[in-house]
Amino acid sequence: MERRAVVVTGVGVVNAAIVGASPALGAWLAAPRPAARVTAHGRPAVRLPEGTLAGLIDPGEARRLSRVCQLTIAAARLATVESGLDPARGLGLVVGSELGDFTSTIAFADGYLARGAAGLSALLFPNTVMNTMAATTAIAVAARELALTLNVPTVAGELAIARGVAAVASGRVDAVLAGGVDEVDPLVEEMLGTLGDRDVRGEGAAFLVLEAESVARARGATTLGRLAGAAWRALPARPWGVGRRSGSRAIEEALAGAALGPPGFVYCSASGDAERDGWEARVLAAALGDATPPAVSLAPLLGQHAGLGALRVAAALWTARAGVLPDDAGGPARRVAGPGLVHGLARGGAHVAVIASAA
Amino acid sequence: MRPVVVTGLGAVSPFGVGVKPYWAGLAAGACAIRPLTLFDAAAFRCRIAAAVPESPGASPRRSRADGLALGAAGEALDDAGLGRVERREAALIVGAVGGGMLEAEAWYWARAQGERVPSWAAALRSMLPGSHAGTLAHRLGLGGPRHSVVTACSSGAVALAEAAELIADGVVDVALAGGVDAMTRLCFMGFNALKLLDPEPCRPFDRDRRGMSIGEGAAFVVLEAAERAHARGARVYAELAGHGMTTDAFHVTAPQPEGEGMTRAMRAALAVAGLDPRGVGYVNAHGTATPQNDRIEALAIARVFGEGRVLVSSNKSMIGHTMAAAGGLEAVATILALTHELVPPTANLGTPDADVAFDCVPRVAREAAIEHAISNSFGFGGQNVTLLFRRA
Repeated sequence: MERRAVVVTGVGVVNAAIVGASPALGAWLAAPRPAARVTAHGRPAVRLPEGTLAGLIDPGEARRLSRVCQLTIAAARLATVESGLDPARGLGLVVGSELGDFTSTIAFADGYLARGAAGLSALLFPNTVMNTMAATTAIAVAARELALTLNVPTVAGELAIARGVAAVASGRVDAVLAGGVDEVDPLVEEMLGTLGDRDVRGEGAAFLVLEAESVARARGATTLGRLAGAAWRALPARPWGVGRRSGSRAIEEALAGAALGPPGFVYCSASGDAERDGWEARVLAAALGDATPPAVSLAPLLGQHAGLGALRVAAALWTARAGVLPDDAGGPARRVAGPGLVHGLARGGAHVAVIASAA
Repeated sequence: MRPVVVTGLGAVSPFGVGVKPYWAGLAAGACAIRPLTLFDAAAFRCRIAAAVPESPGASPRRSRADGLALGAAGEALDDAGLGRVERREAALIVGAVGGGMLEAEAWYWARAQGERVPSWAAALRSMLPGSHAGTLAHRLGLGGPRHSVVTACSSGAVALAEAAELIADGVVDVALAGGVDAMTRLCFMGFNALKLLDPEPCRPFDRDRRGMSIGEGAAFVVLEAAERAHARGARVYAELAGHGMTTDAFHVTAPQPEGEGMTRAMRAALAVAGLDPRGVGYVNAHGTATPQNDRIEALAIARVFGEGRVLVSSNKSMIGHTMAAAGGLEAVATILALTHELVPPTANLGTPDADVAFDCVPRVAREAAIEHAISNSFGFGGQNVTLLFRRA
């Protein structure tokens, strides 16, 4: 089957350190600073400062929509505005999320626990379904083609991008808005802590406009780079477990699809879970051999959330253009060249690889 | 793009465990909607639902939903005759909404009252809808690409569409796809809060319909590249000849009043299949029995196929609205309608709605040799999916 080349024409990011389109992301990547951490239930977490959404969401939406839906819409709008895309020409939407709108779900349950049936909110109930972010965002940006919500631990953002690339490359849709979103909720923090989750959690959203290169060029769009290959597979592991196998079909297929040679740098999904991070390092070493290029995660700076997975793809495009790989441990940036690999591996084995290159 | 065929079926429904009791119940026009006993529903106007009578694979370490999913998925894989080696390459796409929320609710309810609940770590681990895919892959030895998709009540159908695309595009040769949802307090309470539940068993397309009935279950199908299925001599139930996925982008809970997104989904499925609307003989409707949804769906079907030109029926009259499982269960029903040349009825349909310009097969199944049938699934957020099956 003939595959269409896929380019990125817009980026939108809203998190604790970055608010804006690709210039804002580039500025932060050039001089990355850690977002402030708070401690919830004995666990560090990165939260969006109060008031961040005020300038991005109109007052009517702010009253009507949950916070995680507002985050999603804000980032999605930034991306679509930068792309200059006309949604009426056909726009799909893929949202990756690990936790969905848990805050609303808890509030809905609390209403019942406090007041019985009379305490149930018909307005909150739709938010208990995880596609609420996709539903509200589809309305906000007029995305009328497929609209998927993908739920997987820790790599939902990368997976959403890979799925969006597949939709555009196959010719089923000319443009897809794809990305990830999560928010920090105190109860979720408590539960994750109890389950032994070692990630430093963050919150935010990042979305990319993916377009068929031929369509983007025909409308005169500025491209931020090309997503030359994308694949998702699974490595064997128990649910929530870390596996032993390190051979990666996802990396192999993404590299083969891109046909660009070995990557010059890696954005990986290491996030502070030592066991899982070690597994990812072994998988990368097995796939890339002795030539394993320099890698960075950004999770230590922004906290693990589904938005970060999508942000890494946008960051890889910036690195491919600028030839600069930031350091997330306070060290100097490194000069790199060539395409980059964005890699995600979750407990349980969900596994994603995306190849990003300069346009 | 490669043709995609169905080679295995699995179902756990309010009629019991297995495809056989499921089809027997549908063919008989039986209604599995009964007083709800899974949790206390006394505080609500509606106190009935269609629960699965026996949960397969029940275990204190496993959510009810995981048990339902394992029962249906295992049956589908066995039915297709897929061995260990073939399973290692198979993709897995799961449509889910509630996840293991039933057990997580019990934990949260107890926590709110200062109690402790045993084995709650297991409950929390399986709480999110994406957890089913991990459990199924691990237990059933599925090693191909996998993901979980949430598009509300159309999730199960989207899973089939997603799997069909992976096969058609040559990413994999075989996939297990379907949907699962167990009854949850949140879902039951939420639809009560929206005043969308009928206190009596639901009556899709009836003039006096008053809303939905909630159900639960799971259904999975094995999809394969046609050439591979034929090469290994597999039994082929039907071809998944087309699908369409669209979004209303109109309202979070209400469908677009003219059924515009639904119409586009049905037309997209026909276009993929390269089929004229006159080639379709049966529409397995989303058919929730809410006054608004049924009217708009009928309008959209009429726009695509012409008034009165197809048989239309709703399985939800018998098994309730099984949420993310609905798309899977209704796909299985549509496939079996083609293979058995029998259209399942709309149970409880006494007085057809004059605004629904179709024969909705009231109460009694109808013999009909049909070449093509579609299954519609629509969800919160205006998430519309149509699957089009061709008889093998």
